[in-house]
Amino acid sequence: MDLAPTISTQGLSRRFGELVAVDGVDLRVAPGQFFGFLGPNGAGKSTTIKMLTGLLAPSSGRIEILGIDLNAHPVEVKRQIGVVPEGMALFGRLTGAEFLSFAGRMYGLDRTTAAKRAAELLEFMQLADQPKKLVTDYSHGMQKKLALAAAVIHGPKVLFLDEPFEGVDAIAAGTLKSMLQGMIAKGATIFLTSHVLEIVERLCSHVAIIHQGRLVAQGSLEELRAGVEAQTPAGSNDDGVSGEKLTLEQLFLRIVGGERRTEQELSWLG
Amino acid sequence: MSSTLHRRGQLTAIAELRWRMFVNGLRSKRGKMELVSRIIVTAAFALGGLGGFSAATGFAWYFVSQGKAEYLATLFWPIFFFWQVFPVMATAFTNNPDSSELLRFPLNYSSYFLIRMAYGFFDPASALGCLALFGILLGASFASPALFPCVLLVILTFALFNLVLMQTVFAWLERWLAQRRTREIMGVLFILVMLSFQLIGPMMERVQKKPRPELSRATQILAQVQAVLPPGLAADAIAQTTHSHLLVGFSSLLFLGTLTAAVGSLLNIRLRAQFRGENLSEAGARPAVAQPQGLQVGWNLSGFSQPVAAVFEKEVRYLARSGPMLLTLVMPIFMLVVFRLGPANPLRQSNYLSRTPDMAFPGAAAYALLVLTNLVFNSFGGDAAGVQFYYASPVHFRQIVLGKNLIHASVLAANTALSWLAVSYFYGTPHLAVTIATVAGLLFAAPLNFAAGNLLSIYSPKKRDFATFGRQNVSQTTVLASLGLQIVIVGIGVAVFIIARLYKNLWIAALLFLLLAAISIPIYVITLRRIDGIAIQRRETLLAELCRA
Repeated sequence: MDLAPTISTQGLSRRFGELVAVDGVDLRVAPGQFFGFLGPNGAGKSTTIKMLTGLLAPSSGRIEILGIDLNAHPVEVKRQIGVVPEGMALFGRLTGAEFLSFAGRMYGLDRTTAAKRAAELLEFMQLADQPKKLVTDYSHGMQKKLALAAAVIHGPKVLFLDEPFEGVDAIAAGTLKSMLQGMIAKGATIFLTSHVLEIVERLCSHVAIIHQGRLVAQGSLEELRAGVEAQTPAGSNDDGVSGEKLTLEQLFLRIVGGERRTEQELSWLG
Repeated sequence: MSSTLHRRGQLTAIAELRWRMFVNGLRSKRGKMELVSRIIVTAAFALGGLGGFSAATGFAWYFVSQGKAEYLATLFWPIFFFWQVFPVMATAFTNNPDSSELLRFPLNYSSYFLIRMAYGFFDPASALGCLALFGILLGASFASPALFPCVLLVILTFALFNLVLMQTVFAWLERWLAQRRTREIMGVLFILVMLSFQLIGPMMERVQKKPRPELSRATQILAQVQAVLPPGLAADAIAQTTHSHLLVGFSSLLFLGTLTAAVGSLLNIRLRAQFRGENLSEAGARPAVAQPQGLQVGWNLSGFSQPVAAVFEKEVRYLARSGPMLLTLVMPIFMLVVFRLGPANPLRQSNYLSRTPDMAFPGAAAYALLVLTNLVFNSFGGDAAGVQFYYASPVHFRQIVLGKNLIHASVLAANTALSWLAVSYFYGTPHLAVTIATVAGLLFAAPLNFAAGNLLSIYSPKKRDFATFGRQNVSQTTVLASLGLQIVIVGIGVAVFIIARLYKNLWIAALLFLLLAAISIPIYVITLRRIDGIAIQRRETLLAELCRA
């Protein structure tokens, strides 16, 4: 059964003057998918996620979230999504509880519900022990956790995360991952960008790879693997390991053509 | 040998780095504009410097040739103040990243110390200070050539003292400005110092009214105190030599040298701490015992939606946590105090309010509106990256803007009420017609300000930190537009009051202002309704400007 996609784009493009940052991207993310959006630096990941969340206007193309046209009904779409953008979008001079309560009310929760959920989220994220501390005084990892808490306070159906694990320690990353997996188990859809391919491989069921603004691969990990293996001699891969499954890192490097040349060495390095 | 070469290589690399930064900065149009303005500023500085040099030369020659070398203190003091205060006012409140960035390289401590001193030496204040000191050297040596070695020694020591003190002040300021809490305290202190300058005029006027003996006693005490401070010591060292009291002169010079060493050791403490890699993190340790806190339910604002109330609450919390902003907002009351302390001379402008106390309340209310300019005309500046949240949340921008305008109006109302009380205390209760006319005037002026402020906040935003003070980024467009609007509004207000006074009936002013408010309020409402579209249209500019690191 082909479910209607939660996120779909058609011919999504974005130009900055002469530069085409995103070029005709057609994405399809099905409901309940944990979707990883990968690409090298400057490939267009953040630009795409900004367009998907209404932070940036596309130059052309169409975006539908949960079947709603983002351009025509931005407020309705935003009511059902949660976002952790690149700069985290925090208000530094509020305490964690104040910020979460504020976020909840901005997403339409009543004062009491917003306060209750804020307290629960702070507890869950292990941010509750310093209630008077201002967000600006939080460590980077704490700010990431708080940004994620703010993005989920209204129980969104779709969650967009731009580099959620960047600068987060292993313990905090564990907390975040368990929360995200819990959301997936309850039917939410998560769209994340990350440079940490091991995390994407472990968490995501489906992946898309963008390179120089164009979508160069999309599908489940198995589909991507099959596609790459079909282009290489049977029974072997370039790493000389026969019969073993390609890791996401290997897939990624092959697809974007970024494999290191082993003969290129820096002779003076210790 | 290799260590010396290594150090020389590092210093050359740093000099080249600064040069490359300067050249690369010229690639953009903005950089070229910066260069042009820098040339203009440098020319102005050079002119000022030459003026200072000429004055220092002339006065030094005069004092020494008249046998009054102790009066050289009147030259050393201004040089000292300029050298120390100008750099702080001009650049201390922007972080200089160089020192911390250099520490990751294998610099030894003496190189690091040397680099810091070199930065100080190339500061414009140092250049101009040295020029003026050179003027003293020339003037004094022309008047008495035998004094040259002594003056040269004194001036070198004094220059070194100023250089070391300037770097010490900078190093400690960097330390205090590195953390939010100390930065806020510094901000409050800075504003208090600025405010205290306003009181100098009125206080001087009062001091001059005091009996002569008291004044001359105060002057004597002041002269004794200044004599043991560096500028006084420098003058004394030269003066004692001209009077052939070589030993006393040398002891003054020695004391100046000791003070230089003492300040240098303070600088050493600071730079050593930086060099060792001190931790100025504000994250702090987690408390051993968690501090439980009850449920914090947000504020309710009856008649307004949840998002409007949430934005209002957020804005109140931001304001309440910003010492510098709060201090700015009490300025109208402070200015009333300044006017009240003003001189008694009836021709002086500051006595205007004493002659026409009826205008004190409208004046204070107008000033209350004026001090809001910072907030109203750049209302997203303090949100920084948080502005993304507004765009990501399912809220119409007009609700956000309304929440912000509500806090602006509340601050204006509170300030106006306080001004009314202050005016009543200082000048007598304002007449009812004046009070009503002033409130009606605000009903006309505030919506216009809010409408223009909302548009400019979106069209030309600038990131600002509520915790810092001094040189914040300001959009020139906003400055010009807000200035123009205030001139128009104040002009209309003055015209209305003149008309009312001509007819000897201030109720006419109230009526006219209400009629004007009937025009300005719809303008505000229309602007607010259109703000959603404008905010969407301008989102990239707003996000790019406010979310940049």
